[in-house]
Amino acid sequence: MSGLGRRKIVNIVAMSLASACAAAGLFLLLVILYDVLVEGAGSLRLRLFTQDPAPPNIPGAGGLRGAFLGQGLLTLAASVVGVPVGVLGGTFLAEYGRHYKICRLISALSDMAVSIPSIVIGTFVYAVLVKPMGGFNGWAGAAALAVIILPVVLRTTEEMMTMVPWSLREAAFALGAPYCKVITSVVWRSAMSGIFTGVLLAVARVAGETAPLLFTSFNSNFFQLGLNRATPSLTVSIYQYAASPYETWVETAWAAAFVVTFLVLLLNVAGRIFIKIKKVG
Amino acid sequence: MDDLLAVRNLDFYYGDNHALRDVTLPIRKNSITSLIGPSGCGKTTLLRCFNRMHDLYPNNRYGGEIVMDGRNILRDDEDLISLRNILGMVFQKPTPFPMSVFDNVAYGLRLKSVRNSSVLKEKVERALRQAAVWEEVKDRLNQNAAGLSGGQQQRLVIARTLAVEPRVILFDESTSALDPISTQKIEDLMVELKKDVTIVAVTHNMQQAARISDFTALMYVGALVEYDETATIFTKPRHKMTEEYVTGRFG
Repeated sequence: MSGLGRRKIVNIVAMSLASACAAAGLFLLLVILYDVLVEGAGSLRLRLFTQDPAPPNIPGAGGLRGAFLGQGLLTLAASVVGVPVGVLGGTFLAEYGRHYKICRLISALSDMAVSIPSIVIGTFVYAVLVKPMGGFNGWAGAAALAVIILPVVLRTTEEMMTMVPWSLREAAFALGAPYCKVITSVVWRSAMSGIFTGVLLAVARVAGETAPLLFTSFNSNFFQLGLNRATPSLTVSIYQYAASPYETWVETAWAAAFVVTFLVLLLNVAGRIFIKIKKVG
Repeated sequence: MDDLLAVRNLDFYYGDNHALRDVTLPIRKNSITSLIGPSGCGKTTLLRCFNRMHDLYPNNRYGGEIVMDGRNILRDDEDLISLRNILGMVFQKPTPFPMSVFDNVAYGLRLKSVRNSSVLKEKVERALRQAAVWEEVKDRLNQNAAGLSGGQQQRLVIARTLAVEPRVILFDESTSALDPISTQKIEDLMVELKKDVTIVAVTHNMQQAARISDFTALMYVGALVEYDETATIFTKPRHKMTEEYVTGRFG
């Protein structure tokens, strides 16, 4: 009887603690979103998307159209490299390489790479791609972002594929499927929603990164279509504008922060809906 | 009845672990052969030799031979993909793939490059009918197979195996995760399938072995204790151990 009472109390304490922590986390998130929404939506103007940056303190002028495009190009280029390499690498670790010790080492190193401060990655890419190429350029920025994406996608893919029960693979083998078919048509399918979530989180993370871009793509006031020169990005623009003493720039930074935040949110929600549709079908 | 498969002096090693010792027995064509014995006796290990499932894992080694059509299927150069098309396998837990009912059954056919959609449709329907699950799934062919009940999933898996027209189906305790009614359906199905295929079934359920199989082999610590017609094994076995096992006094 007393044992039962104790267990009930422990249960209530554990539940209250967990609920309080969840509430605290949610509260902070909502405060940030509220702040960004109120300040950002108030400063949001169409010219943000259509105009180039203007000098400070000229009310009613100046936008960040180059930064929008640059951010998109940087994220796209980073994803095009980082996601396939990560998914295929993770597949190798989970399947073909699962008996090799070296693969366990690569997994462990990737885990560490996930938590390397992104500014360290920025300085690394500066040393290998910016200095030798003679200046800041978008490709170096994309490379830095790809380096951040890679271990996250690699490990998520490996984890998700390892979770697929072996009996399912054996069932496919028993039907005479070659290993590559077993992977593409059974294991990937089973692990798809998990892998996709990992990819989404990785892409969303680099879409909001500033530090690795400061040393690589840097920033630029000029609108351009390629990545060959210093490339403007929203995050670096926000960083520079928000730290400036000029009211018009701070306002622009808020508006840009609002757009970035909600684009990332939208990306997440869209991904989740996509997974749901795929699962039902 | 003819022998479709002949296991001769078969040894099997998981690394240093000598799991099968000098096993010799025939598998008769169009019959059900049950492999029984206590846990760890090697009956599943033996079953997985027939379709070379052990080749998926490193350090496994075969000795002796399993002869089919005058050929030792344990040879190193055996084509495992076509071998597994001839010897299908149904596992303990249902293993529907994460795709629609139709795609599950069509899986093996598509591997064999059957692309024509009317041929696929016809073969999928025939396999599902043969597995006695057509009536239950015919209206949900495009739904995810995970939504079926356990018993339906297991019959779907049997249909998936049947679709590629194997000559042998290996059942690895395929009813042990199912309720009595689903078990009954699968047992009836196995007896029905004897017309078209040869069945080797591992089972923990002695009554099941007695009910459905024509031949029974009792195994113990990797060796074959006794192999005979099921009626003989259960009524007048030659070995004391067999008698004790089938009457439930040991194992």
